[in-house]
Amino acid sequence: MKLNRIVVVGGSIAALTAAETLRIEGFDGSITVLSDEKVPPYTRVPLSKSALAGRELEDDLTLPAMSDDVDLRLHTRAEGLDVHRRLVHTKEGSVPFDGLVIATGARARTVGHRRGGERVLRDIEHSRSLRADLATASSVLVVGGGFLGMEIASTCRELGKDVTVVDREPPLERLLGPLVGARIRDAARMAGVRIRVAAGDVELVGGKTPSGARIANDEVLEADMVVSAVGDLPNIEWLLGSGLRLNGGVHVDAWCRARPNIVAAGDVAVQAGPDGSSRRTPSWTNAIEQARAAAQALLRAENAAPYRPSHYYWTEQFGLDVKMVGPPGSDGTPTISEGSLDCPPALLEWHTSGTAYRVVALNHGIRPAKLKRLVPAHHSRSVLR
Amino acid sequence: MRVSADMARCEGHGLCEEVAPSVYELDDDAVVTVAHEKVPPELERLAEAGAQVCPVAALKVIR
Repeated sequence: MKLNRIVVVGGSIAALTAAETLRIEGFDGSITVLSDEKVPPYTRVPLSKSALAGRELEDDLTLPAMSDDVDLRLHTRAEGLDVHRRLVHTKEGSVPFDGLVIATGARARTVGHRRGGERVLRDIEHSRSLRADLATASSVLVVGGGFLGMEIASTCRELGKDVTVVDREPPLERLLGPLVGARIRDAARMAGVRIRVAAGDVELVGGKTPSGARIANDEVLEADMVVSAVGDLPNIEWLLGSGLRLNGGVHVDAWCRARPNIVAAGDVAVQAGPDGSSRRTPSWTNAIEQARAAAQALLRAENAAPYRPSHYYWTEQFGLDVKMVGPPGSDGTPTISEGSLDCPPALLEWHTSGTAYRVVALNHGIRPAKLKRLVPAHHSRSVLR
Repeated sequence: MRVSADMARCEGHGLCEEVAPSVYELDDDAVVTVAHEKVPPELERLAEAGAQVCPVAALKVIR
């Protein structure tokens, strides 16, 4: 199939990487990027850290611009897809394509507040408005103890706020397991964060913006500011009725394809893992790596390498720099192969039948590329030439 | 084209090196080094792509 026009829908790192990869791979037709953002692609990674702390200017988050031979259309939301007539519908009209990259990402999930106004952190505007609110708040309640929630808690402590994190499970347990999870929670407590584990649903209370959360036994945790960090939802509404398989995201095959001429990458894409279960892999690294694989597959079909996520994740909080390779999970017991967990640097490895399937580096200077090599299942990937 | 690497920002994630190993290398301390003071024309596109994937925006392309 000869492709002349490729449309990329999305405005963040997966869309940007897909567009650049198409050019690097020699595609010389037209590339149109439809982004509903108001600004060109920027890095979201510092939004919960240095940008939220105010140590970083927004301009510094902007990524190097797309090339002139990519038509980036900002403020342009895709509202529908016709896979047969090969059109992406927008308010400004329909955009024809031969090949399509779906990279519409995800948005913050919310707990739900009857008056709206729930605070979340996903984009640059959220970060800006949280920072503005933080200027006058003295206490912060973070609902959700995943990577994002704990990073927000860490930054708020750094800013001298009184911080509580509430979750159903001990924060980070589900992602990093009991040993590493407990180590980071200790660091959080040492930094002065209160951690509340409360079974059951959390209900936000307060006026226009939430000012507390009701947990089990009708107890209400109050704060000047409540921030919800309870995961993300894939942006797939514009694809409803398109005929693509949508179930918690856009389902794609091992080459990131939903159709021979339609690929998806990043937070929106659902792919089957080696264990057969289908899931999204919402992370910065995955968005980059999957977008490269998807762009290559769009051009070369099965001559491109099938995609396998590297499962590289990292977080920084409470003075701990955590790098991980391998699927997040609370299974298994790691061995400490270097250093000490009490007094990092430390390197931990999870093994099954003599092979590492997950490694975690804590305040350890190991190069990410080297860390990936410690996990044989995840490092055999192609590079662009 | 030149690429400036902000050493203070670099956290050593190595995504630039993964995307464009002919332009970016990580040293033993996982700090990025740019292999060319002036990027050869045939590597410009790769250099750009490597800079764009930096999660902490430590790489700037200068024309």
